Amino acid sequence: MPTPILQVKKLRTEFETDGGIVRAVDDVTFDLYPGECLGIVGESGSGKSVTALSLLRLVPDPGRVVGGKVLFRNEDLLQIPEDDIRQIRGRDIAMIFQDPQSSLNPVLKTGFQIDEAMLAHGTPKAQARHRTIELLKKVRIPAAESRVKDFPHQLSGGMRQRAMIAMGLANTPSILIADEPTTALDVTVQAQILELLADLNRELGTAIVMITHNMGVVAGLCTRVIVMYAGQIVEEGPVEQIFDNPQHPYTWSLLRSIPRVDALRHERLRSIEGIAPDLLHPPKGCRFHPRCPFRVDKCFTDEPSLEEVAPNQKAACWVTMERARREMGADEIVDISPGAGSGVHPGELR
Amino acid sequence: MAVAVRVDAVSEPVQASLWSDAWRRLRRNRLALAAAIYLVLLVGIAILAIFYTPYRMSATGIAPDYAPPSLAHWLGADNLGRDQLSRLMIGAQISLVVGVGTQLLVLAVGVPIGLLAGYYRGWLDQVVTFVINVFYGVPDLLVALILVFLLGPSLANIIIAIVVTRWMDMARLVRGQTLALREREFIEAARASGAKPMKMLFGHIMPNALGPIIVQATFGVPSAILFEAFLSFLGAGVQQPTPSWGSMAKDGVDAIQFAPHMVIAPAIALSLTLMAFNFLGDGLRDALDPRSKR
Repeated sequence: MPTPILQVKKLRTEFETDGGIVRAVDDVTFDLYPGECLGIVGESGSGKSVTALSLLRLVPDPGRVVGGKVLFRNEDLLQIPEDDIRQIRGRDIAMIFQDPQSSLNPVLKTGFQIDEAMLAHGTPKAQARHRTIELLKKVRIPAAESRVKDFPHQLSGGMRQRAMIAMGLANTPSILIADEPTTALDVTVQAQILELLADLNRELGTAIVMITHNMGVVAGLCTRVIVMYAGQIVEEGPVEQIFDNPQHPYTWSLLRSIPRVDALRHERLRSIEGIAPDLLHPPKGCRFHPRCPFRVDKCFTDEPSLEEVAPNQKAACWVTMERARREMGADEIVDISPGAGSGVHPGELR
Repeated sequence: MAVAVRVDAVSEPVQASLWSDAWRRLRRNRLALAAAIYLVLLVGIAILAIFYTPYRMSATGIAPDYAPPSLAHWLGADNLGRDQLSRLMIGAQISLVVGVGTQLLVLAVGVPIGLLAGYYRGWLDQVVTFVINVFYGVPDLLVALILVFLLGPSLANIIIAIVVTRWMDMARLVRGQTLALREREFIEAARASGAKPMKMLFGHIMPNALGPIIVQATFGVPSAILFEAFLSFLGAGVQQPTPSWGSMAKDGVDAIQFAPHMVIAPAIALSLTLMAFNFLGDGLRDALDPRSKR
């Protein structure tokens, strides 16, 4: 196993609200390996975006990272001085955001903004413009030489996101964090952007952290996936394995709720019952238990921890753990999913 | 079969930058355009007055005292027999220097303070807000008069006195704009790309607040001109023999019963200029408002 490029350990981010403290990210631990593409999936409010922002200390007020470590090149990004983290932002770890409409400055020319990303890290001015045009070509923006002089509103949504990606790649970072980069785009453009990211990941060896609520995006792009629920990681493992054999009921439900073209006509689209928990008053025990079809008594009282349930695959679920333990003891196999597996194969979603 | 082809719908100009959009909208506003033309003329006259006035503005007795308008003296003469037109031209210089100079200083003071307070918030913002409120609480005429008497009534000191009483509006406006802008996604994106703090403030936030800042500054000019005229009217302004529209009006008021031309000329000049700046400010506000997509 190669050494991880980024190690996140027991990361905790809290928001102080009038109603009390909301723990948006709760003991999140994961590694990122060079050149890989890691997916972080979860519903809205599961803490996936806040996790990403916490890595670069960009959590907006009143949020605060209250614990944990983010190790990058033997340094804890949560401890180094503000000026040092500023230099890492955009140079070593770049970020692209959900809505390209609002993440480009409306009064500055697009090319100028990409130049800026390089100038902030010491690239000479003449070189920056040259490289900006090169980058825009790389992200397949036609007529790059003239597009650099356009304002963001003169570009289409897809082109703006391409420009954002170009900006993210400007300093050839070793990590690119993409926070739902395709959510605001229409489906055909989504596919183009994902393809572009996959190519860049392959060509440049940039590690990508893909934050999304879309399982299809994960299937198409990522090699490993982390599933988050209510601020915690509930399952982690290789994409193929998780799609074939999800071990956490939440992952299983997520996969089952993907609309399918080949579903029978009378079959209803399945959804996950209930709503995401209120993080101000998270449920006792396992946070998923109110919505879980497989819950047992223990789930109401005790919080499961993330344990290895299959090779390279971890899940935080009492039922699964029980089964894994029995399997190792060669007892009967309790299959949590009626009909085994999610019935969704990642290849089908590509 | 009639197929109506509307050519003008096709020739609609391609939407360009914020500024060219604003310029297009401003040109359509007749009143603002007239005001702008008047102000250009006024600036021209003020510049001309550096090199040429019909008579020396301080030369006394070149016409009979209180002489009414005539061919030789278009606007008549004042109580010391000085040419009114020449004095009015120099007065335009004073008014413009005071108005524009004050606003430049207000920009230099108010914009950075507002940006810093709005961006960093916390104790800095609390201190700034407190100081602003204190300055609002003190009557500005009193502060200005005290300052002019302490520093001496020179043009520079008058400008300083006006800035001291008028910087808060700009600081408060910029602070408010910054508070709203700092939450926008592109500011977050700029931070995520590692922009330096000063770059964030002046390179990313300020350009987005430039519209309201320009409008505020435009409205600030006439208010400063009026304030200077008022100080001069009270005798605390620019000192004799240098004319100011305010001091000319004061001399005119003393003679209003037998030489009304003396007060009418500076009063009209002052009113027109104030109105022009206000109309221009109004026009700019409409033109720079991105919601008014006309």
